[in-house]
Amino acid sequence: MAAYEPSFAQEVSGNVDFGDEIKMCMQCGVCAGSCPLRDHMDYPPRQIFSLIRAGKREEVLNSQSIMLCTSCYTCVVKCPRNIPVMDVMHGLAHYALKQGYVPRKDTANFGREFWNQVYKLGRIDEKDLPRRVFFADGVVSGIKSTMNFMDVGIKLLLHGRMKLLPEKKIKGIQPLRKMLDKAEKMAKGGGVA
Amino acid sequence: MKYYLYWGCSLEGTGANFLLSLKPVCEALGMEFEEIEDWNCCGASVSYAGASDLAIKVLNARNLALAEAKASYDIVAPCSSCYIQMIKVNHEIKEDPAVLKQVNECLSEGGLNYKGSIKVRHIQDVLYNDVGVDKIRERVTSSLNGLKIAGYVGCQSVRPYGEYDSTVKPVVQDRLLKALGAEAVPFPKKMLCCGSGIFLPEMDYCLELVKTILEDALNHGAKMVSTVCPMCAMNLEMYQDRINKKYGTQLDVPIVYLTQLMAVAFGMDLKKDAALNRNVIPPEGILKEAIG
Repeated sequence: MAAYEPSFAQEVSGNVDFGDEIKMCMQCGVCAGSCPLRDHMDYPPRQIFSLIRAGKREEVLNSQSIMLCTSCYTCVVKCPRNIPVMDVMHGLAHYALKQGYVPRKDTANFGREFWNQVYKLGRIDEKDLPRRVFFADGVVSGIKSTMNFMDVGIKLLLHGRMKLLPEKKIKGIQPLRKMLDKAEKMAKGGGVA
Repeated sequence: MKYYLYWGCSLEGTGANFLLSLKPVCEALGMEFEEIEDWNCCGASVSYAGASDLAIKVLNARNLALAEAKASYDIVAPCSSCYIQMIKVNHEIKEDPAVLKQVNECLSEGGLNYKGSIKVRHIQDVLYNDVGVDKIRERVTSSLNGLKIAGYVGCQSVRPYGEYDSTVKPVVQDRLLKALGAEAVPFPKKMLCCGSGIFLPEMDYCLELVKTILEDALNHGAKMVSTVCPMCAMNLEMYQDRINKKYGTQLDVPIVYLTQLMAVAFGMDLKKDAALNRNVIPPEGILKEAIG
């Protein structure tokens, strides 16, 4: 293991949601063992914690695993030190994206568009969201993705599982946005661009 | 028994068969529902890509505050993601009162305030603890007659807090299935995540999860899989042909909501109340055969 180098750990602790929790990790690896997508991770959560302590900023913020979380809470339940591992991963992914890193492109596009829509409408439009995600990387890949998902769309449509009318803004959208803007200002690392 | 029903975004679309079956079933059991006026989305599990943790808390606290301002009913959330996002706010407020202060500072920008008094309950919780298995069993007119069903629990309906069921060995869904006359088959993968909110962008990896879950259910004798989550239902049902193409399997397993099975066992209309016509992999044949 690399030597202890505290500057990145301090950065994480001060700016990442739930970042101060990493100090509790005793490197047992139960989080990694319990994760449904562990086989696809470059660094499992245990190793992420270790890399943070070793000051490996680039490795952590570029890591695929911090965005490969299905939010199933298994690691949260299993951690013997009560670390909300999932929340730490979400916090790291949020911070990495804010710093210009893109650990998983498709999930990043999906998550960002999801939040954009919440901010815009107050609700999710299940037709509009995939469309925006598909076209996030341009028209050509957008058409390809749309064609690829045509079968799913048709199945949903034929079985009455697609809301046909576009989702309208909630009545209180303006006050909601004010609340969310305020939250972003007050959030941990809110000052970090 | 009066509750708020917070059904969320997907139960008006991809999860329509959940909401359609839930309403008549709960009504038949004496539950009354009120909508939280002008509710917003819970942010689900991927909003962290665009929002801070505090913003996501505030988003959920708005719904809680709107509910609290009007009445003291518990909120019933059928969607696991809505459920977890709201109870998480309540838990974090309880653990640290400073969180409530922060949240309220943001809510006040829109003229709202949350005291922290509203309870959020999963639909399984109220069916099991408020209504009870006895009352449900009494209402059954068309027993599912030992039909083998795999009660898929998934993740967010019980984890991480385990408010009404074990996070390791959950029993509630199986007991509800048994009350309908079904045989709840044990299968080890009943709590393996289906990929949840990142299924779409990470499909290559998540198809494998669904394959593992469904094969495990079938290997343990299940004829269909029940669920209480719109994401599980979507992920388990909609991509079976893709799994078959990728892995050479022959999956064709109906995925039904627990409330659809209840409507069937209560002798309700298979289309209007159980909304079985909205399932892409049709469960009617197997269910009709079971109830005779």
